[in-house]
Amino acid sequence: MNTRRHFLSSSSALIALPVLESLGFRRFASAASQTTTPPKRMIFLGFGFGVTKESWYPDKRTVGTDYELPKGLAPLKRHQKDITVIQGLNNKFNNEAHWGSTFYLTGANRYAEPGQSFSNTISADQVAAEVFGKDTRFTSIQLGCENAETGSGHGPGLSLAWNRQGKPVAGLNNPVAAYHRLFADDGTPLEQRQAMLKDQRSILDTVLTDAKSVKRGLTKTDIDKLDEYYQSIRDIETRLSKEEQWLDVPKAKPKDPVEEPPSEVEGVAEVKIMYDLMIAALQADATRVLTYRQPVDTFIRSLGATITAHNMSHYQPGMRMEVSEMRDRKQSELLAGFIDKLKASKEPDGSSLFDHVSLSYGSNIQSIHYLDNCPTVITGGGAGVKHGRHLVMPDPKTPLCNLWLTLLKGSGVDVESHGDSTETIDELWA
Amino acid sequence: MLPASAGEAPRALMPQKHAALFETYCLDCHDAATEKGKVNLEDLSFDLGTLQTAELWQKVLNSINSGEMPPEKKPQPTDAEKTAFLEDLSSQLVTARKVLSDTGGQITMRRLNRREYENTIRDLLGVEVDAKDLPADSSSGGFDTNGSSLYLSSDQFEQYLALARKALDAAIVTGPKPEMKTVRIEAEEEANRRIRGIFRGYQKQGYVAWKRWQDSKGKPTTDFGFPDDKEIEFRKLVWDRESPDFADYLSREENLTGAFLTVSSPNPQVGLAIPDDAPAGRYHIRAKIALNRAAKPDPSRTFVEIGFRGDDIESAIDLIDCIKVNAPMNNPEVIETEVALPPLSRPLTVDVGSQTKKKVTLGERVIAFRQRLPNNRDAARFIRRQSTDETGFNIEPALWIDWVEWEGPLLEEWPPASHQAIFFKQPDAEKNDDYAREIVKRFATRAFRTREPTPAFLDQLMGFYASELKAGKPFEEALKKPLSIVLSSPGFLYLAEPVASRESPTLTSRELAVRLSYFLWSAPPDAKLLAAAGKGELDTPAGLTREVNRLLTDERAAEFVSGFTHQWLHMERLDFFNYNYRLYPEFDDSVKMAARQEVYQTILNLIRGNRPLAALLKSDTVVINELLADYYGIDRVRGSQFREVKVPADLPRGGLLGMAAILAMGSDGERSSPVERGAWVMRKLLHNPPPPAPPNVPQLSRHAGKLLPARELFEAHMEEAQCAQCHRKIDPIGYGLEHFNAVGQWRETEYTEIAANNRVRQSKEHPIDDSGTLPDGTAFDGFAELRDAVASHDEAFARGFVEHLIEYALGRPYGFTDQDLADAILAQGAKQNATPRAYILALIQSKAFKHK
Repeated sequence: MNTRRHFLSSSSALIALPVLESLGFRRFASAASQTTTPPKRMIFLGFGFGVTKESWYPDKRTVGTDYELPKGLAPLKRHQKDITVIQGLNNKFNNEAHWGSTFYLTGANRYAEPGQSFSNTISADQVAAEVFGKDTRFTSIQLGCENAETGSGHGPGLSLAWNRQGKPVAGLNNPVAAYHRLFADDGTPLEQRQAMLKDQRSILDTVLTDAKSVKRGLTKTDIDKLDEYYQSIRDIETRLSKEEQWLDVPKAKPKDPVEEPPSEVEGVAEVKIMYDLMIAALQADATRVLTYRQPVDTFIRSLGATITAHNMSHYQPGMRMEVSEMRDRKQSELLAGFIDKLKASKEPDGSSLFDHVSLSYGSNIQSIHYLDNCPTVITGGGAGVKHGRHLVMPDPKTPLCNLWLTLLKGSGVDVESHGDSTETIDELWA
Repeated sequence: MLPASAGEAPRALMPQKHAALFETYCLDCHDAATEKGKVNLEDLSFDLGTLQTAELWQKVLNSINSGEMPPEKKPQPTDAEKTAFLEDLSSQLVTARKVLSDTGGQITMRRLNRREYENTIRDLLGVEVDAKDLPADSSSGGFDTNGSSLYLSSDQFEQYLALARKALDAAIVTGPKPEMKTVRIEAEEEANRRIRGIFRGYQKQGYVAWKRWQDSKGKPTTDFGFPDDKEIEFRKLVWDRESPDFADYLSREENLTGAFLTVSSPNPQVGLAIPDDAPAGRYHIRAKIALNRAAKPDPSRTFVEIGFRGDDIESAIDLIDCIKVNAPMNNPEVIETEVALPPLSRPLTVDVGSQTKKKVTLGERVIAFRQRLPNNRDAARFIRRQSTDETGFNIEPALWIDWVEWEGPLLEEWPPASHQAIFFKQPDAEKNDDYAREIVKRFATRAFRTREPTPAFLDQLMGFYASELKAGKPFEEALKKPLSIVLSSPGFLYLAEPVASRESPTLTSRELAVRLSYFLWSAPPDAKLLAAAGKGELDTPAGLTREVNRLLTDERAAEFVSGFTHQWLHMERLDFFNYNYRLYPEFDDSVKMAARQEVYQTILNLIRGNRPLAALLKSDTVVINELLADYYGIDRVRGSQFREVKVPADLPRGGLLGMAAILAMGSDGERSSPVERGAWVMRKLLHNPPPPAPPNVPQLSRHAGKLLPARELFEAHMEEAQCAQCHRKIDPIGYGLEHFNAVGQWRETEYTEIAANNRVRQSKEHPIDDSGTLPDGTAFDGFAELRDAVASHDEAFARGFVEHLIEYALGRPYGFTDQDLADAILAQGAKQNATPRAYILALIQSKAFKHK
């Protein structure tokens, strides 16, 4: 440990030694090298309850580059050349009109497992994280908000992410938590942190001893259940190993410094800060895969609405619809600001973060209780998409997973299929 | 895929008669040869027994529902054909889902859900933990006791560890007994200082500044320190608007010795701050308070609400109690409530990998007193504004407070019993390693519900104790770590029921005791139950019955009743919507809380009194407190505790259908919804659930923006075949409840309006037609007849109750394989007056409950 730390702190950026393959060096190299291409990143934003369909979708008769952004997307006007709006995507299995995020990135069938009333499969971001997460401190980062499940129409889950086993991956549900995970250094000396890791490991060993005695005499399904406990312990072990590898590397600071966010921000301000933290995380190369399950309920309240997000989602002409449209616009405005910052953030080779990011923005819920034509906007240069267009899929039931497959492949992830995907949407690259 | 007893088990079969519809309208494009859109319906089996078939049928349902198929240009089925087809298909799909998710009686070992976790920690350590940060348990439908859907996420283990540590920090005490203190605060002290300060501010920076500017005849406002004319005009406006009420408040003699509680400013709340150094625990909260009869307040304003203060003096409060005030101004009364003061949360600290908590908020330990109001600052401001617009003044305050005080902590013994249960020897006993080991061993045995920890596990735990000691921690402190690891171990978190041998899948007495107590208490067994189990008494019907009766009489049974009922009756819907405070100011948080309690208390009352379940369908009594009595217009009920009272002859109450909570759940916070109410009656009372609302069905918006009565609005459902198939059964039930408004109050006419920003643009009153029919064709005219008609379905209602009870108690979805079990419980219960207790007993005595 000590030698590598020593090596890292003393060597210049240009040395090339046979230790190239060591994890530490690759990390070091990607952060410092002036010549390598910046890495690919993927961002998935989910906004729960759907949009106001009357004023969010571009006119279906105007496809291609020559189309007008309607009211709900108008704040994205300055980026129109760099975004793509897609219509006609859906998750065919989802029958849950209040679940905007549960199957959004997975396309799973909740009844797929006999004898279970709920099951899910891996989400697109986690597929990406398996590849892009190897070289960063955080394999992936999941951001979220308080009371997302029912309050904001996201449905069951802990974030947008679901792991290989189809189990929910926990999220950081407020900016303070996100900031601390990503950037805070608690100043604890290395030896003490090593001791803490060791201690955490022996806690895991201890509970596994008990697990062994609980396991005795259990039936097959019970053992499967207990396996979830084992799996969660294994997950922590994996995380601890990664932490150990990074123990002697201080948390990287982003180019544009971020401060600890105030603890009580909600709604619009909260989304803004989360976007800033995402930019900072990418700048510092802390992670390359991010998801964000955005607040809706506190969002509209911070805009002055006095109804709940669920009330809003059942809009009819009148106040509820006004709130819904106001929310659409504000969200687009924040997204536009996010894109501004992605473009402004320069990579060592002179390109911008924007050029290497694949960003999607949408929900499994279209509007009210409609689950077809999932609202979809994509942007960023990471997946090789030719932007500036409005695409209406010829088949109005094109799997949403076709988009995820396209973005994954376009970003260089070697996958054959994802969820219920049938093929890539090649038109995006054309 | 079908359960073992496939011969009898239901199958999801689409009636063959619908083949004709396929033939006529679908197969032109979707036969095996053409397979348009890769959909081949010719080979589609009419037996929905496999996942693939069911999925394809779901697709058929969705595309017909959304009007997508058959395509517009092609011949269309008649409405009658379509309705018949869709009705069969949607109900068969519901059956198929059930068949496919049938576990065949398999119970999956489960972990403690959040409620059980909190209760179990309380039982072990005598402290309250807040498990809100743990992932939610039952969001995928069903009960939170369903083992197979109680997952563990990867962060959860560390959350358990942290929660346990926090609980142990509170439970293990080392110092001397905290002194019990009484601190009284005169209400006028803080109020007058604050109100005078604000008033002077308005005066100096508002009126006086404006006057000087006016007198200067044309000097720029910037000379007076204001950015522009607008600003100074605004200050003047605020002065004009606010000063009358502030001046009025400060001029009142009563406010020299106490404080009036006003609606919104000047004095929305009287606060009682409990200092940071006060230990967590139970406290008495009191106020000397009087009713200002001169204000002639309507009854809803004669209650004082007590709660934890929000961000500031006007924000919503976290409600603790709502108490009626009767005493006149010349003879105030002392009201009292009790509150559990949480441990002071530390300002944000972050652990590696664990979730962070939000910081302490200012009001966390400030108890607020205010006049009962919608729990929302906008509502209070709205009420005040209405009055000032009309009279120039706020509404006359209804309540006056002389003083407020706290007393505590209330301790029964020191160290607390829960501490003594861990440190089982006398406080002066020698604190050595052997004692430590015995402490950990006993604690783990208790935490594991009498299963002893293995020596290997104990050894490892003692390792932590040793290293903590070595790091300089005192004895008690050094034990916290091993104990918190115990509380994060699978032996604690999971209700494991290992099989001793294949031949005897019967639960051991101990396991039965655990299953029993988690069923009826959502908590671990107590010493008596364990003792009964140890003596083999649970193996005899008499012994088992005696213990079940004891458990149900214990106050912990309230945990079962609220936990089960909330989920059984889908009461989360009560929190789905905001109730419009302008239209329904009376349905505030206090009433909502009481209305929810009414449902629980009614069921608890039936269980305790061992009375028939059918009383939930119709009854001549209600179980209410003073607040609800006031809400329902029933006299002579005093105090906030719930009790059974006779319903006056002319009041439409008694039974679930007359309860405010149930009726409010059947609205969207603005208007009553015959659809929600009708569907709820079918699901919960008639046990004839309609298929779930399909996605992608066109929303009824033809009438949007018109002032139509609900009935007329929903009759549009009958125009579309895909709506009519279900709604012709659902809606007419709901019409029978139309005399109840969105918050369950009786109304003679239905009010509709078009409003924006609290301003009504148009409104209209409509006569109410509350006649309708049940799905079986029984016609009724109005609420009374509807309730009678529903009450005649008491057997169906009991079946629904029993099926849910099985699901809740056994921790797995109710499957077709459980039919015999349900039949047996119903038959057994019917012999004993069909009471909830009889059903519960019959279930507990069944083989299924005693088996793994």
